[in-house]
Amino acid sequence: MKIGTYLLWAAMAVGTGIIVLLGYFVQIDQIPADSLIGNIFELRLLIMGWAVLLAAVALGIGLFNLFLVHWMKVSAQRPGWKYSAVLIVAFVLTLLLGLIIGPDSRVVLFLFNSIQLPVEASLMALLAITLSLAGFRLVAQRRDLISLVFVGTALLVLIGSGPGILSAEGLFFSFFAGLRNWLVQVAAAGGARGILLGVALGSIVTGLRVLLAVDRPYGE
Amino acid sequence: MSGVDLTGLSILLLFVGLLIIFMAVDSRRPATFRPIRGYEALKGAIERAVEAGERVHLSLGTGSVIGTDCAPALAGLAILTSIAESTTMSDKPVVATTGDGAMAILAQDTLRRVYSEARALPRYSPTSGRMLGPTPFSYVANIPILLASEDISVHVLAGSFGAEGALAADFGERQGAFVLAGTDDAQSQALLYATAEHPLIGEEIFAGGAYLNVGRVHRASLRVQDAVRMLIIAGIIIGTVLSLLGVIR
Repeated sequence: MKIGTYLLWAAMAVGTGIIVLLGYFVQIDQIPADSLIGNIFELRLLIMGWAVLLAAVALGIGLFNLFLVHWMKVSAQRPGWKYSAVLIVAFVLTLLLGLIIGPDSRVVLFLFNSIQLPVEASLMALLAITLSLAGFRLVAQRRDLISLVFVGTALLVLIGSGPGILSAEGLFFSFFAGLRNWLVQVAAAGGARGILLGVALGSIVTGLRVLLAVDRPYGE
Repeated sequence: MSGVDLTGLSILLLFVGLLIIFMAVDSRRPATFRPIRGYEALKGAIERAVEAGERVHLSLGTGSVIGTDCAPALAGLAILTSIAESTTMSDKPVVATTGDGAMAILAQDTLRRVYSEARALPRYSPTSGRMLGPTPFSYVANIPILLASEDISVHVLAGSFGAEGALAADFGERQGAFVLAGTDDAQSQALLYATAEHPLIGEEIFAGGAYLNVGRVHRASLRVQDAVRMLIIAGIIIGTVLSLLGVIR
């Protein structure tokens, strides 16, 4: 029974995966719509529509899971339970407001624009400080050639990107601006393309493992 | 047949063929991979965490299952399999978090399968795979609380991250945890290089399954990547030479 169930899930995943993948290699508009292959590719669009719907359902399950985790934490009064209590109150309040007066209402938009957006923006701002400190920490703790090159390159690009330097005249300033352009457009672009190539190859084989049902993250 | 991208299909079949070949020869001619410092250190860090009664946290990032950025998180699930196998019998088993609901379900299924195979299903908790927040920064905002309240000493980031990944890694460093971080985005990798103790560069995130001994398919897929990379490099060099000679434009 267990083997049968596992085979069913694997067959469904492989079948839908192949149908969706082949859609990228075949120009569907050149296939008669009433043919068998045409019907299969029509099925592809239906499957992709279902995927979007299921992702929305999964978001709901994820939020319920989030609520459950924090509810259990408050119930057991584990360390940090007060933060979880605040999260639960905010969660329930926002959910009720969204359900009762609608997500586009002025109150809900006010909450979003006054709390959610500033908090996320402040985290983004924190990133600048974090990266500056991380640069110092990198030089202090990981004293190898690559780290020094990394920090040195970052400093050169920063100096070359400064508004005073790019707009100024003179040999000194044009040297740093030219060096910055070479670093960004030649060295960094070349390195990034190499990384992207490796990432693309890794993505393809990871996808193939799922497609061939070797990796089965959807369970047994 | 017109309207069929035969080149694309051929490349896909090349990948499948090489994968099968390398799987078949894996036991007779096992691959030797270059050492990756992060993965080597991770094994020791997990052992120390288990012995000390501390927890391992794996972040699968903020990418969506139905998006183009799901591949690194799927590679992260392979790493999760290995970590879960090592921590199943620990007092504090691994916790996997993500910013996507569907990915959280996949993490739960992965954990359930590992517990089931270890005949320790009663120890499995659905909350060990969880969504921390639906947006990238709400996800990251929850990480410091998770790290502090769950006694986490090993903080692994293996998934799709934007700039928020740097904050996620830095929170782990501030907690004094072992931090291993990798993603697919080149710019985010630069940020992780600066903030994480053990950054994974390039496609190293996809090598996790092979380096952590998840299975021979993972070793074979890493060899496929290397083989195809060699073909591409050869193509680039030949193309450059032919272009310099004026044979092609």
